[in-house]
Amino acid sequence: MKFQLKRLYFQIILFFTANLGAVGLKTGFCYPFLYCQACPAATSACPIRALEDSVYKQSFEWRFLVYPLLIIGFFGITTGRAICGWACPIGLLQRGTSRVARKVKKHPIAQKLGKYRGEKYLRYTKYIMLIGFVFLTSLLIGFIFTDICPVGMLVGTFPILILNPGKFVPNYFFPVALVIFILFIVLIFSIERGWCRYFCPVGALLGPFNKVSMLHMEVNTEGCLHCNVCSYICPMGIDVPNMHRDPECILCGKCVTTCPEKLIRYARA
Amino acid sequence: MKKSFVFQITAVLLVSGLFLGMVFAAHAYDETQARIVEVLCLSCIKLEPKTIREFTFKTENNAPHPYFVTENLIKGPVFLDYSEDVCAGCEVMYPIIKQLFNIEFGKQDMFSATVTFNHVNITFISINLDHTTDVLENSFPLYDKDEIGGLPMFTIVTLGYDHGTVRPYYTTLYGTLNVPTDADRTAILQEVLKESIEMYQQNKAGYHPD
Repeated sequence: MKFQLKRLYFQIILFFTANLGAVGLKTGFCYPFLYCQACPAATSACPIRALEDSVYKQSFEWRFLVYPLLIIGFFGITTGRAICGWACPIGLLQRGTSRVARKVKKHPIAQKLGKYRGEKYLRYTKYIMLIGFVFLTSLLIGFIFTDICPVGMLVGTFPILILNPGKFVPNYFFPVALVIFILFIVLIFSIERGWCRYFCPVGALLGPFNKVSMLHMEVNTEGCLHCNVCSYICPMGIDVPNMHRDPECILCGKCVTTCPEKLIRYARA
Repeated sequence: MKKSFVFQITAVLLVSGLFLGMVFAAHAYDETQARIVEVLCLSCIKLEPKTIREFTFKTENNAPHPYFVTENLIKGPVFLDYSEDVCAGCEVMYPIIKQLFNIEFGKQDMFSATVTFNHVNITFISINLDHTTDVLENSFPLYDKDEIGGLPMFTIVTLGYDHGTVRPYYTTLYGTLNVPTDADRTAILQEVLKESIEMYQQNKAGYHPD
C-alpha cells in the first residue's frame, strides 16, 4: 500500500477516534491537536481551552496548565509535530483542500507572494497567537481565542445549529467569528496547510519539540540532485534539503516518497 | 548510547510519570471531564441558548425533584442559580442576581438564603458546579429543560396543578437571557419570578411534599 494512502487511512481512523463522543464516550483527556470539545461528537477536551481556563482572569488553576502540556509534551518528545500530519482532523481537512491550494500556488501572484522574504516571519504569527490570544487575553480580559476560534465554529457551532434547530441564537462574538471562519476557509483553500503554517496555537506548542523529538526527518545531502522536488511537494513549504529538525515539519513523509534518490528518511533519536 | 537519546528517554519517562500523577493524584482527568468536556462551552460555539420561559412538570427522565427543592417549596418558590468558575455568561449574570435579591455571596460559595421578593419568601440556592455537593450537582441535568448542558442556568421551581394534584412546576432560563442589557435581564427575571409567585399562591394550599 502506498505510504501516503496509509497516512490517509491513519488520519481517517484518528478522526473517528476524536469523535467517539457520538457513541457516548466522553473522556477527561485533552486532544494533542486543535479540536473543539463543544463538537457534539467530541471525545476529549481542547488543549487550548484547558490552557485558557488555567489563567482565566488571573485565577491560576495549575492542573489545567500542566495537564494539556504534559499530553502535548509526550507526543512532542516522541514524534515531534507528526501529530499535525498524522492525527489532527483539521490537518485532514486541509489535506482535502490542498488540491485547490496547489492550483492557486501556480498562479503568478501566489508565486510572487511565495518568494516574499517576510513569509518565514509570518510563521511566527502562531506563537503570537498562543501567547497573546490564548494566555494574555485570557489572563487579562477573558476568553478571546475561544470566542473567535474558526475550528470551534466548524465543528461546534454548525453541527449544534443543525442538530438543535431553533434552540440557539448567535451571541455577541458570532459575527466576528463568522468573518474569521470565512477567512479560515479562504486561507486553507488558497495556501496549503495555511492554518498550520501561520495560525495554529497547538502547532506552536508542538513545533519546538521537533528540535528534540525521537522521530524526525533526516536528509542526506550528499548525492542530492538539487531538483527541489521535495521542497515543491512539501505541504508546509519547507526548504527540505536545508532543513534540520525544522519546527514547521509535520513529518507527513511526502518528501520521503518523492525524492528520486531516496535521500530523505524517517530517523529515530 | 547517544546523549540525545538518553535525554529523550528521560524526558518521556518524566512526562509519563508526571502525567500519571496528574491523573491519579491531582484528579486532572476527572476535572477535565467534568468541567470542560461534559459542560457545553457557550463561548466555544459562539451561541446563546434561546430562552423559552415555558413552565413544565417534566424533569429529565421524569426523575423526582430533589429533596432540597421539595422541602423548600413549603416556604415558597425555589430559585436555583447554576454557574461555574470559568464562565463568561456567569460573570454577566452574577451582579444581576445579587442585585435582584439584594444578597451578597462569593462566586465560589456554596450559598443558600431565604430572600424576599414582592413580599413572598423565595429560597435562593447558588450552585457553582465546581464547588458543590453531589446532590446539588445532580440536579443540574434534572432541570436542564431544553437539554442545553451549558452555563449559566437559572431554574425557578414553583407549584402547578396537574390532573388533580399540586406538583413542582418549573422553568429554566439559560445564558444571558438573549437580551442586550442588564436592565432587560433583570426585567425578564422579575417577570418570571412574579409569574411563579402567582402560581405558587394559587396552588400552595394543595401542596404536600412526599
